[in-house]
Amino acid sequence: MSIPGPLVLVVEDEMQIRRFVRAALEGEGCRVAEAETMAQGLLDAGTRKPDLIILDLGLPDGDGVRFVHELRSWANLPVLVLSARSTESDKIGVLDAGADDYLTKPFAVGELLARVRALLRRGKTGSEAGSPLIHFGEVEVDLSRRQVLRLGKPVHLTPIEYRLLVAMLANSGKVMTQRHLLREVWGPSFVESNHYLRIYVGHLRQKLEQDPTQPRHLLTETGVGYRFQI
Amino acid sequence: MSAPAATSVSVMFRVLSKPYLLALAASGLTALLATPLRDRLDLANTAMLFLLAVVLVAVQLGRGPSILAAFCSVALFDFFFVPPRLSFAVNNVQYLVTFAVMLVVALIISHLTSGLARQAHAAETRELQTRTLYELAKALAGALSQGQVLEAGASFLRENLQADTLLLLPDAQEILHAPDAQTQQTTPEMEHAARQVFDSGDISVADNLAAVDECSLLLPLKGSTRMRGVLIVSVNHEVKDRLQLQRALLLTVASLMAIAIERLHFVEVAQNSELQIASERLRTSILSALSHDVRTPLTVMYGLADTLALSKPALPSSALETVITIREQALRLNNMVSNLLDMARMQAGHVRLRKEWQPLEEVIGASIKLLGTGLQGHAVKVALPADLPLLEFDAVLMERVFCNLLENAAKYSPGVADIQVHAQTSGAMIDITICNAGDGFPPDKLKQIFDLFERGSVESPVPGFGVGLAICRAIVEAHGGGIRAFNPDTGGSCVSFLLPRGTPPQIEHEYDPGELP
Repeated sequence: MSIPGPLVLVVEDEMQIRRFVRAALEGEGCRVAEAETMAQGLLDAGTRKPDLIILDLGLPDGDGVRFVHELRSWANLPVLVLSARSTESDKIGVLDAGADDYLTKPFAVGELLARVRALLRRGKTGSEAGSPLIHFGEVEVDLSRRQVLRLGKPVHLTPIEYRLLVAMLANSGKVMTQRHLLREVWGPSFVESNHYLRIYVGHLRQKLEQDPTQPRHLLTETGVGYRFQI
Repeated sequence: MSAPAATSVSVMFRVLSKPYLLALAASGLTALLATPLRDRLDLANTAMLFLLAVVLVAVQLGRGPSILAAFCSVALFDFFFVPPRLSFAVNNVQYLVTFAVMLVVALIISHLTSGLARQAHAAETRELQTRTLYELAKALAGALSQGQVLEAGASFLRENLQADTLLLLPDAQEILHAPDAQTQQTTPEMEHAARQVFDSGDISVADNLAAVDECSLLLPLKGSTRMRGVLIVSVNHEVKDRLQLQRALLLTVASLMAIAIERLHFVEVAQNSELQIASERLRTSILSALSHDVRTPLTVMYGLADTLALSKPALPSSALETVITIREQALRLNNMVSNLLDMARMQAGHVRLRKEWQPLEEVIGASIKLLGTGLQGHAVKVALPADLPLLEFDAVLMERVFCNLLENAAKYSPGVADIQVHAQTSGAMIDITICNAGDGFPPDKLKQIFDLFERGSVESPVPGFGVGLAICRAIVEAHGGGIRAFNPDTGGSCVSFLLPRGTPPQIEHEYDPGELP
């Protein structure tokens, strides 16, 4: 192996959690750096130039929102947040600040690795223009021709539905807060109109998902927003 | 001596009481002083001396004595000074004019002077009263308890009106009581009379209420927002006029006391809410510390077990089974902790619902996804009417309801039977039902299963923790709905809950230019 694996910085105060996260990441071929505090994490992020940061929101010295704000002022690397349940407002805060995804504790190692892979892939392809063709489930989206096919047949989407789909595809593998999607698709004056977003996501599921009540690609992150998963 | 005669003598005495005697003496003294000078003084100047005496009497002794002095002076002037002396007869008729003028002037002067004196006296009294009222207000403003309010009011009324004071204040149940600091006991009649005043807000008068021989005035203590109590002021029957004469003063005292009591009330309210906020903060910090401290080892356990389960080369099958069990148990423990923490939050009664209008199917889908392996291979069939309106609920809490109900349904479901979820409109509510094909709930426990720490049967073969259904009920009720369990005739068991339909927001229809190219 001549190419070293991507470097992941784990900012987490609990040694045992760092241990199994490190084991899992190394099993994936990643190199792992550890930091116990947010201050140390920020420092390491600057000096070691990781490809991804896994950040625990429950650090004793920590305000995750400030961490992400500061990080975003000079780096664009993906941030995966670990947090406890029932702190939706914290999650939204840190996601709106620029974090890319979150996992709720306790989390499965498989899930963690899937998220890490998705974020690392994004990091790589983020700069260059991706392929205009995207496949998921029975659906094929041709961004260059603005065409959506399901099982080979064209699906009619309204302009807003299409904009919403494109916004979700563009952030594939990331959690998008409701606010973020509303601003992107409807514009800044709609950021409080959550029910619009929910209705249109429902429309998309009706048109594109096999079972709209149990979607597999247009996923709900309850209390936070949505995630598109290929 | 006969009785009328005795009366007239006593009247005489009263009339001739000290000020009147002094008035007579003043006139006599003037006559005495003027007599040696009568050859040198002009008669007009002598008359002036008498007028001076009348003025002095009026200033010092008031109107009655000064009128007496006026008549007396005229008589003495006539008798001793106007020729012929030592006789009331008059030589010259023009002296009659002198007498008349002298009398009229004396009377006018006495009237004006005594009025002036009276006004000065009244002003002095008023000033004194104002000062004592000010002292009272100051004492009341500094009062820190109802007892001190009572003490300040009582001592003021005792000093100024020689009156006894009683205070009745309403408690939390609106029953009137004497405050603890009050030594004098209240009687049922007194409480009844006070009640009427408290309810009507009108002043009333009662005899022999506080004590025999006493007349009482019952004053409502009107605060700015509500009635604060009743003040009972009692004086001896003999001076009962005082209560009427000083009514304005009493009303002032009552309103001052009402303000003081109201202020104490609001101080208490503020202190209570401060206390509540502090205990709330404590509870929240304990809960979040607990949730963090319990979740961390759980996360470690779950993560380590998961790492082992995924390790390559794979573990031998028996070890793998053990590891997977550890992982599942850790997850279950986590759910229990979540339920318990949620329950603690709900029971604290201060959960703020983040209600938003949203489709029901979304939260059902999210719950199914979240449960994942927790459904133990049971498929969930969701059948919702196509025209189901948006509902207003807190998505995170409702997800908890569905997770608990679906997990429960899976747990008590045999084999791989499906779990059914359906919804229908039922009047102003939406009825959401989750059914499984299990043995059904014990028929006599359909209500209790939603109580805390209750499971279907005492020795249930299926593990569980009663807090799941209890939290469902708490959440549904917080949304203005209700929850019930029943066993349908077709078999299985169902839990059904209601959510209010409300009025969903209007959605502007999107202009659609047709199929996209």
